[in-house]
This record gives sequence, structure tokens and C-alpha cells, in this order.
Amino acid sequence: MRKGLARILILVAVVALFAAGCSSSSTETTVAGGTETTAGGGSDTTEVVQEPVTITVWDYYGESSPIPEIIPDFEAANPNITVKVESLDWDTMLEKLNVVLTGGTPPDVITLDMTWLPSFAPLGAFADLNEFSGGQLNGQPVADAYSAGALKAMQYGDETLAMLYDFDVYALYYRADVFDEMGLAVPTTWDELNDVAAKLSADGKYQYAYMADTFHGAQWIYENGGSLLNADNTKAAFAEPEAVEAIEQYAGMLNAGTAYWWSADEGWEVTPGLKDDRIAMFSDGAYYMGIIKDAAPEMEGKWRVAPHPQSKQPGSYQGGTGLVIPKESKNHEAAWKFIEYAMQLDNQVKLFEISGAAPALTAALEDARVDAEDPYFGGQKTLEVFKQAMETSTPFPYVREWTSIDEIFTLAMEEIAIGDKDVATALSDAAASVDETLGG
Amino acid sequence: MTTLTSHMTMRRRRTLIAMAFIAVPVVSSIVFLYGPMVVSAWWSLTEYNGIEPAKFVGLDNYVKLFTNDAVFLKALRNTTAFTFFGMLIGPTLGLLTALMLNQKVRLQSFFRTAYFLPVMTSLVVTATIWRMLLNRNGLLNDFLAIFGVGPIGWLSDPHFALPSIIVASVWQGFGFETVIFLAALQAIPRDLYDAAAVDGASSLQQFRHVTLPQLRPVLIFVYIVGIIGSFQVFDQVYVMTGGGPVNSTTTLVLYLYSRFMNLRLGYASAIAYILFAILAVFSFLQWWLFRERD
Repeated sequence: MRKGLARILILVAVVALFAAGCSSSSTETTVAGGTETTAGGGSDTTEVVQEPVTITVWDYYGESSPIPEIIPDFEAANPNITVKVESLDWDTMLEKLNVVLTGGTPPDVITLDMTWLPSFAPLGAFADLNEFSGGQLNGQPVADAYSAGALKAMQYGDETLAMLYDFDVYALYYRADVFDEMGLAVPTTWDELNDVAAKLSADGKYQYAYMADTFHGAQWIYENGGSLLNADNTKAAFAEPEAVEAIEQYAGMLNAGTAYWWSADEGWEVTPGLKDDRIAMFSDGAYYMGIIKDAAPEMEGKWRVAPHPQSKQPGSYQGGTGLVIPKESKNHEAAWKFIEYAMQLDNQVKLFEISGAAPALTAALEDARVDAEDPYFGGQKTLEVFKQAMETSTPFPYVREWTSIDEIFTLAMEEIAIGDKDVATALSDAAASVDETLGG
Repeated sequence: MTTLTSHMTMRRRRTLIAMAFIAVPVVSSIVFLYGPMVVSAWWSLTEYNGIEPAKFVGLDNYVKLFTNDAVFLKALRNTTAFTFFGMLIGPTLGLLTALMLNQKVRLQSFFRTAYFLPVMTSLVVTATIWRMLLNRNGLLNDFLAIFGVGPIGWLSDPHFALPSIIVASVWQGFGFETVIFLAALQAIPRDLYDAAAVDGASSLQQFRHVTLPQLRPVLIFVYIVGIIGSFQVFDQVYVMTGGGPVNSTTTLVLYLYSRFMNLRLGYASAIAYILFAILAVFSFLQWWLFRERD
């Protein structure tokens, strides 16, 4: 019990100390140097004599991380740069980012969940990558290297804050073996989904997974032509009729018994429900393919992916991992070199092969090693489904209050799942608090 | 003369050595505790996200917490309920267990260790196990299903989530109270009971008039330490429910933490100071109760 507060106090203490002594503490890390290098140029290999530099990379990929794999070759190609990787899990990373970006000594490169960008970007925590890239990535214009959706996500105002490393958009995962057995076709519309879900779940198992979060809620709203905030991000739009109708459809599946509310007490991932046949359909990102293969190797051949059913248009939240450089980093040049290296075609392919995440570079997505048949998914070319979803996906609004909005919306989704409030009431109450948050 | 100076220098050296030893905790307390406390007191009067300069807002954060923040009030209520019910059950259970163990039971030290074991185990580990027992697909619901009951959302239904966490926390913590009470019971002089027996006191009267008064300082200690600990509950809630569903288990420290994660450092500091004020009241109470006795 007491550890709780002790931990918070230490955290606050650390913030306070860094805030107090941030200018003086920089002496610790003056291993830097590199300031002599002529800035501006892209990745010209005309090597000036350079002082040795050590860069620190924060990596949240965990055990299946592609980052450590590419370091030996990077160091061989750049003898003056040493790369130190700190592996952190997602939660810890967010915690440490809060501490370190608010006045500490940040690392030089961060693998950043793109949904975190809205909270940090308005604070000026990240460097504008255009300064180092001159608009070029490995000799190719950045604008040509990525899809339009990805470019939009990397952009904050007129600055480019991230190089998108992998992308995350949602598609439907479904149990092909059960579909075959029952003679069901893959649903493409909400009506078909309701029909299929009813047949699948007739015995109380094989349900669709209801997740009370913004990622999933947003998908239904987008599919019905709605949006989370209004066009200039000043007011909530998720209590508008299209959005209410969308969530009514989603929550309606809970009431009809065709969906199963996957609540936090069963863990963050739906995997146990897949293994014991409670769940036969769910919506998630490409990264989940890696998780399911690891967690349920015995289910090989049973799952497929398809575009998520929709009412008016395809739609998904768009996220992923961006490579960013904190403004306070002392090694911008070396950090950019590392990012460029990580974005090379072969290393993007490695990202896919090692972590299973969808590489963001257009060339990588078209590479035969990535766009390949996957035996786990019965020989399906799975990434094509996600590539297609990427084209119609939308990043979460880039407003600095995003974390609060996400929290408020998630709460509404929980209230709806529990049955505390009906959909319209829950959403309009949540919209009122979002409006207040955005107004104040 | 020479002996006097050498005596003096020796005393001075001793003083210096003592000062050096004292300096370590003093300096570290100033740097790691009092310094940050002063800084965060200042932050609690500002709107501050850590990067942009802090904006002084006076008592706005405090006013907003009590007048316009339903989640904070809910967290305050939840924490109070957690403390109240935890303190109602935990020490009572601890005392009963201690009284039983204080009889000449066989394997007394085994039971003592057994009851104390959860206290020594990491909170995160026990909370994870409880989550696995209590989740909708967990062992308890599997068991209830035999009788055709459930499944009950012990952690996913807002009515059950907080009580479930209280039960898990009591289980985890009452071994501590047992061990303290047992030690205190064994320190009560035998002759008090003998004298009471000679006066014809029944065992219930002995408990009422000998045991309880003798336990008074320990009771005060257990309750105050327990209340202070309970108000800071975090780990179990973080692991078992994350504060949900619908904030039904959000506690003060958990809410403070989530404000911190939202980069609302001023607001989070204000919550920390409210918690600090609550704990200060109980600490004062403890000091006062013990003082009374001396």
C-alpha cells in the first residue's frame, strides 16, 4: 500500500530535480561533440573527421524488436557512432517520456506511439525533422516515400515531427474454419455483420469482441460518416447523429448477445478469448498478427483478415510508431542518421519479419518479402488488407487535450457496455465534458 | 593541558564524525523529499505541464477539485470506503487470528509464517493472482458455475469491483496485524490474568478488562498505520482494475498518477497536497493519542 505513494513521490521528485537543475545536468552527457559537422546535407557519405558520438534509442517493441538487430550494421557503417538501446515496455515508456520530456535529459531517438504525438507536439518536445532531412529520406523525397495518409500523420503544423516506422490500422479478424463449417460469407456491411454474428453466436460462443476504447469506437463512427471532433477540433462531434447511430450499432451487438465485452479484468489483449472459442471476430491492427502467432500457434490456418464491415464508407483510426528526435537531444545529426538507416528498405522489411508490424514505407509494403502469403493465415496475403485500410484511415485529432478526450470517450464506452447509460446520453454527456476541456 | 586539548580534539572529531553520519540522511531528505515537496507545493498553485512556464492560478486547482471534478470526488469516496471497510475487517480479523494463535496451538510458528507470507509477497504478484481468480472467466466464476450461479463480474461490475479489491487487500494485509497483535498478546504479563482469575473474572471479562486495555497502544498503532497505508492504496487497484469500470475503483493516488500522466503537474500536485493533509491529520492523531498516554 505504501509503495504507491512512495513511487509517486519519487517520480515527482525526479521531475522537480530535473526541472530545477536541467541546465547544469547537461554536463553529464557531453560525450556528444558532433557539433562541428556541417549541417543541412542529407546522408552524404563525405565523412568529415568526426568525434565519437553515443546515441541512446528508446525502444518499446520488447522481445520482438527489430531495433537491436540493425545496430551492428549501422555502427559498422558509421564508426564514430555508438548506439545504446534502452528497451522499455509501452506503459513505462509513456511514464518515462512524461518525466524526461518535461525537463530531463531525453534520449536521442524514440519509438513513439503516434497517438502520443498530440500531447507532446504542442509543447515543442520534438525536433522538426525537415531541418536534417532537407525533405529527403535516403535520397528519395519524403513526399514520395510515404502514402498520403502517412505523410499527414507525420506532420504537425508545418513541421515534420516523425518518420512513420510502422502503421496501425484496424481490420476484421475472423475464424475462417468456423465460417466454412457454418457456410457463412465474410460480412462487408453492418447488416451482414449482425446477421453473421447472430448465427455464429447462437450457442453462446464465437462472439464478436466489444472493446470499450477509442480505437474501436472511432472505427464505427468513421464507418458511418461521423467523426470524433468537428473540423477545426474545437468541439466534440461524437454525439452527432451519425456517431450515435454507429455506437448504437456497436453496443447493440452487446445487447443482442452477439458481442462479448472484453473488459480490462481479463487482460488487455483478447487472446485468451480467441483460444477458448469465446471470440470468433474482432477488429485490430496488423501488429496483432504477431501476437496471435506467438500466443496461439496451434490455431494456425484458422484465422483470416478482411476489411471491417461498414455502413457508408471504410474507416479506421490510424496510428503506428514514429521515429522522433527530442528537441533537447544533443545529437540531432547522429540521431537522424540512425532514423534514415532504420528507414532503409531492407530494414523496413526486417521490421516486418521480426515484429510482424506493418512497415510504413511504400516501397517496403510493395516488397515481395512483405507482401507475401502467410501460412498462419491460410496463405492469405494479409498485409494487402491493412494497406487498403490505411488509405481510408484517419489519425486521432492532433489537439493537445487528446489524452483527456480519449479518457472521456473511453469512459462513455464503458458506461454503455455496463448499461449505466444509453448510448445517446453517454455520448452527449461525454461531449459536454470534451467541449469544456477544449474550451478551457 | 595537553590532555585537555587532546580531549577537546577528540570530542570535536567525534562530533564531526557524528555530523557526517547525520548529514547523509539529512541531505538526502532535503534533496529527495523536502525539496520536491516545496516545489510541488508551488506547482499546486499553478497550471503547469512541465515544458511551458508554470502559470500561477492561486487556489484554482483546489477549488476545481472540490467543486467541478466528479472523478476526484469519486476517488475520494472510493478511498474513504476502501479505508473504512478495510480497517473494519482487517484488524478485527488480525486480532481474532492472533487470539487463536496465542492459545497453545501446535505448529504456532508455522501458522504465524503462513499468515505473514502474503504480507511479504509483492503486491503486484498477489493482485495479479486475485485478478485471475476474480475475472469473469476466472476460477471463482468457474466454481460458482457448478451451482448454476453467475458469471459475476467481480472486477468488471461497478457494484462488485471495489468490494473485491477490499477483500483482496485485507487478505494480503491482515497477516501484518496478526503478527503485531500476537507479539503484544505475548507481552501481557501472565499474573494480570491470574489476578483476574482469582477475582472470579470470566474469560470474556478477562478479555474486556485485561487484554484490551493492555493492547491499547498496539491497537492505536495498527489502526493509524493501517489508515495511512489505506489512503495511499495504488498497486492493487492499478493491477486489478486500473480504476475502472467507470472509475468505480479509482483512488486518490491512482487519480493523481493519471493526472501526472496527462502532464497536468499542477493539478496532480494539488491532489497530492490534499492527500498529504488527510494523512497529516491521522499522523497528528497518532501523536496526540500516544502523548495522552505518556
